[in-house]
Amino acid sequence: MQAVREKRSEFERQAMVHMDALYGAAYRLTRNARDAEDLVQDALLRAYRFWDSFEQDSNCKAWLLRIVTNTFINEYQRKKRSREVLDAATAEQGATDGVLVHADATVRQSPERALLERSVSDDVQRALEALPDDFRTAVVLCDVQGLSYKEIADIMQTPVGTVMSRLFRGRKLLAAELRDFALAEGYVRSDGAAPPETGQESKKPIDLEKYRASKAREGSR
Amino acid sequence: MSHRNEPIFRDSRQNLCQSIDTLAMAFLDDELVAEERRELELHLLGCASCCAHVDRERADLELVRKALVAPPAPDFVKARLALALDAEDHASLKADRQRSLSSVGRWILPGAAMAAAAAAIVAFVAVRPPVPTESGAVAKEVVRQQTRSLPLEVQGAGTGPWLRENFAPIEPPQFRTPSLDIQLLGARLTAVSGHNAAQLRYVVTSGANRFTLTAVVIDDLHNDELTGGTAIKFGDRVLHVHDANGIPAVTYVDEHFMGYAFASERLTAQELLELVVSSDLIGRAQQGR
Repeated sequence: MQAVREKRSEFERQAMVHMDALYGAAYRLTRNARDAEDLVQDALLRAYRFWDSFEQDSNCKAWLLRIVTNTFINEYQRKKRSREVLDAATAEQGATDGVLVHADATVRQSPERALLERSVSDDVQRALEALPDDFRTAVVLCDVQGLSYKEIADIMQTPVGTVMSRLFRGRKLLAAELRDFALAEGYVRSDGAAPPETGQESKKPIDLEKYRASKAREGSR
Repeated sequence: MSHRNEPIFRDSRQNLCQSIDTLAMAFLDDELVAEERRELELHLLGCASCCAHVDRERADLELVRKALVAPPAPDFVKARLALALDAEDHASLKADRQRSLSSVGRWILPGAAMAAAAAAIVAFVAVRPPVPTESGAVAKEVVRQQTRSLPLEVQGAGTGPWLRENFAPIEPPQFRTPSLDIQLLGARLTAVSGHNAAQLRYVVTSGANRFTLTAVVIDDLHNDELTGGTAIKFGDRVLHVHDANGIPAVTYVDEHFMGYAFASERLTAQELLELVVSSDLIGRAQQGR
């Protein structure tokens, strides 16, 4: 009885305080409140069951976000066939080739489409839908949760360079999608504001480690 | 000295310009080490092209981050999770507790504010188990609705707000049952004996079993309309336990004349009564006294 109480008390003190953050991540990953509620509940229950495996000195929020992300990915993979989402690998290959185009992207930029969009919230969720899962996960972990590249790499079990690449391209896609409504909402000005960028610059590798390696070679010459 | 530095500076500058995608991103994400940051900041002072690039990236980043601000977790999600954790705790203690618990007490929460209330009803029920008697029209109607799976008009998270907008300012009752997972599935509007009513449907999970629990909330219902059944006094609240054609129902009318009627084909009258007593509906009433 005492052990159960202590576990619960520790969990509430260390984990439950991150509930809003976890819900925020889940909300942006799943793109709807109902799935986010279920995802947070599933993930936190899982975390509670495996609380003994949490290393007390490590970053609890990052540990919880890893569970949320894994739960999302696993759940998503199960349902994947029934959903129309761009395959991440295909998009990544396309981006590497310098062609960063999503089938819906051009449609969404049309004025007719913009007129149909009723609220900022809907716009954001729709824009997120245009992102492949891996891109969206990297963007959510960085720009909603403020995690470092290293923490995201640990969660997504990929090299930091891949995280940067997904983050870079995810943001580009998202920014392009959001620009129409941002102009309408006054977040950015149309005069002199940043023009929408396409995949032109994606030809260059986005990898800090590669830059550092080339810098080191340059320094040793 | 300077003739040796010059080409290196040009190389370095060229390298910075060529890598501006990477550097701008890492700079804005605060991922550069101090030396790299200083080098880039110096470079930006003299390179209009890279400076403009960083400004564009910053604008994009602000746009994305502003758009992605997410709402906090709704209170009911927190409450639902607390209940689920209670269930986990209960499961951990179950083996030890099973020996000492009577069948009546198996759903009672440890700790929590409801413990005292639950204990009171358990003590009461243990001494005098409810004997459901033939019910009146209201309970029969509830049971009739329980046995018909009419389509819901709203499901999931939006149920509470939808009820408040379309029916009455109520909170859907939530249950505190450690060994059962009870989730509100959704609701629909209905009518009971000429009163406006809303049917709430819950999914109860007990191990591998899943079944439905129905709550019908009836507006402007007076106590004397709840005829039949056996009255069970709980504090100064009175609940009625009914038998409607062999299916148990528990009814309760709050101080605002809002009637609540619960029914489930899979529960005994006693189990249903314990469930209702453990709900925040009765807890609210007790705390409000």
